[in-house]
Amino acid sequence: MLALLFILFAGLAIGCAIAVVVQRNPLYSAISLIGVFIALACLYLLLAAPFIAAVQIIVYGGAIMVLVVFVIMLLNVEEEVRRPTRLVFLVPTAFGLAVVLIAQVAFILYSVHGSPLTPREVVSDTGLSASIGIGLFTKYLLPFEITSILLIMAVVGAITLARRSFLVSREEQTPTGARILAMPTSPATKAADRSERADEPPGGPGAIG
Amino acid sequence: MDILIEVGLKLVAITIAFTVVLLIVAYTVLAERRVLAFIQGRLGPNRVGPGGMLQPFADLLKFILKEDIIPDKSTRFIYFLAPVIITMAALMTIVVYPFGPEMYIPILGRSIELVIARFDVALLYVLGVASIGVYGIMLAGWSSNNKYSLMGGLRSSAQMISYELSLALALVGVVLQAGTLDLQRIVEAQSGWYGLGWFVFWFQPIGFIVYLISAIAETNRIPFDLPEAETELVAGFHTEYSAMKFALFFMAEYINMFTVSMLATTLFLGGWNVPFAEAIFGRGTFLFGVVSAAGFLVKVILFLFFYIWLRGTLPRFRFDQLMRFGWKFLLPVAILNIVITATLALFGVV
Repeated sequence: MLALLFILFAGLAIGCAIAVVVQRNPLYSAISLIGVFIALACLYLLLAAPFIAAVQIIVYGGAIMVLVVFVIMLLNVEEEVRRPTRLVFLVPTAFGLAVVLIAQVAFILYSVHGSPLTPREVVSDTGLSASIGIGLFTKYLLPFEITSILLIMAVVGAITLARRSFLVSREEQTPTGARILAMPTSPATKAADRSERADEPPGGPGAIG
Repeated sequence: MDILIEVGLKLVAITIAFTVVLLIVAYTVLAERRVLAFIQGRLGPNRVGPGGMLQPFADLLKFILKEDIIPDKSTRFIYFLAPVIITMAALMTIVVYPFGPEMYIPILGRSIELVIARFDVALLYVLGVASIGVYGIMLAGWSSNNKYSLMGGLRSSAQMISYELSLALALVGVVLQAGTLDLQRIVEAQSGWYGLGWFVFWFQPIGFIVYLISAIAETNRIPFDLPEAETELVAGFHTEYSAMKFALFFMAEYINMFTVSMLATTLFLGGWNVPFAEAIFGRGTFLFGVVSAAGFLVKVILFLFFYIWLRGTLPRFRFDQLMRFGWKFLLPVAILNIVITATLALFGVV
């Protein structure tokens, strides 16, 4: 039963991964990538790691991919046009590297299979949220805190880049974020409807937020 | 043999839960139309069946019989996929909610739990599935190839991402207090004080209000229904959808309302805890289970009424107001709530 589920989800993951590369429409690629993440989450579940599975869906499937799809939709990226391959030597190189990778995996599979180590038949709480929480706040406290500092740096950096008012005057700024979506004549849709301009507060879009 | 009985019980539970939820959803639509009508001094739909009781089925029949129009320039595959994603994501969360306590069933001669699937990370599962639901709206808006749909889709994804943060942070307080992510154990943690130890009274009132506001924004309801603001965007992301596909979007919105109300009831209003029920009937008995499950449903229905009431009384936000409110007010308040709860937990109050 478990093997059957593994084959199902692993096949789904590989199929979606191939689709990510092969699809010409960037949105289709993004949707396939979501499929990969969901299939991976299912594989984590099979490995008795429900916490990682849930976090995988929330962070990768939910947050990051929403951002990617959002950007693709906002920029309205065109379908990619196939061009003749210029760097022809890359194709045989890729095949060679693929063979090396498969050989490595096969070697690992062979050596693991041949080893006397078999999983012990004990109930473990390794994948559960309580044990992960205890681990994060005792044994791995320092890496955890360093990661959070890194994330805060990323947030501060993103906000600094988004608020260019230090560099550019207010009038020259291109409208961003909520202001684009609040505007009926948004650059995203290039709608030509001017009638709802009157709804904006005095001072124009620059005065909002 | 035991495993067959187990599987059979689960199948029965799934059938009952989904039928009840879909029936309640169908009647929420009717209730919404009638309550709104009373708020506005009208009568509402009261012709089909006694007092309009058969109206949902008449609507469904009409949805099925309508012509299914597909826009010529739409992206066909995604256009079909979007309503499927949104309905599936809405339905999938139902499986983790505890509808009632463990109760003795006389016919079976054994005790069962009134929850379909119980696992360690139920709360995270709910959040994860809810975050998948955003794609339905985004892709519907994009694939229709219509500027109003696209605006609706973009607005809604921006709104849902923003309010998901405060929603999740509002839940952290409850998790800190209960010390678990398992919904059944969170409900059991609220059984004190003769069944009135609800987290909304004991130290999570701020979390409850933050959750309530962000839940309304998550389900795209008034006053946060910017994605389908009729006055600016026709019907938002589902402008180009008709017949059964439109019905799926419509249904998903009401199922989302229902699941969000169930989550609020489970986490803040004591779940199936009915005041004094345990003292009167005794734990684990059949009557206790029935009264508790009924109490759970009554609380959820009160929430649904609250939603309809809001729709009848509040005007809509402007989009930049919505964003400012979410990021500059709701998020800091949610974080403050976590700090307060953590401080209380540190000093052993909770």
